[in-house]
Amino acid sequence: MKVRVTLFGALREADPHGFVEMDVPDHCTVATLREALQTHVRNHAPSISENLIKRSAFASEDEILHNHRHVPEHGQIAVLPPVSGG
Amino acid sequence: MTDIYTAVVDIAHAPLNPAAALEFVSDPRFGGIATFIGRVRQHNHGRVVTGITYDLFDPLALRIFQEIGERARAEVGGPLKLYIAHAKGSLRIGDFAVVIAAATPHRDEAFRACRLAIEAVKHEAPIWKQEHYVDGDSAWSEGCSLCEEHREAELAAAQQSKQTHGHGH
Repeated sequence: MKVRVTLFGALREADPHGFVEMDVPDHCTVATLREALQTHVRNHAPSISENLIKRSAFASEDEILHNHRHVPEHGQIAVLPPVSGG
Repeated sequence: MTDIYTAVVDIAHAPLNPAAALEFVSDPRFGGIATFIGRVRQHNHGRVVTGITYDLFDPLALRIFQEIGERARAEVGGPLKLYIAHAKGSLRIGDFAVVIAAATPHRDEAFRACRLAIEAVKHEAPIWKQEHYVDGDSAWSEGCSLCEEHREAELAAAQQSKQTHGHGH
């Protein structure tokens, strides 16, 4: 399936469009998506540290999706680097 | 729930408004109002800051603000009105970044609810701060991980640091 990963914060620098699109296995978990994103960033935005992807969470518009969760079937997900509001 | 107001404010359109926060939480039941206002400061870690850009994932941020409000209500264990608004976009020195107001019958619950809300907004909401410096450089703040594998360890480390050095963000 094709997944669009919306970028925020420091991860916006991975792509000027504000998102990356990747092919991942159907019904895959967030852990699998994380590995795919790490590979994508390594190849396309090597200035971004792998540790930043490791420390990032994934989320829908409604909730954080931890590693064991499935990627939403509509193929839209956000990657959230460590947060710094306030 | 009408006793909890949450907002993400694009400051290209309007600044945050502390008076609106006070107006929202004011209620004849409540004798105590605690507020927290966060503003953009000129120095951070020894560098001169000229401005800040806040990036937010709006729908999730609003949902988490609401969850924080419900948690504050449970903590207080009685009537509460709570206002949480965070700025989005490019802010200058002195601009309001975040406004929290909590109103309860007495001061103790108001202080507790306000403190709970601002700490949770800083550590749990999908908000990212990019500082711009006088030398033209910019940097995203390091921040707190929302990833479960890292979160517990980082919170424990922050707690340890707080005991020895104070919590810096």
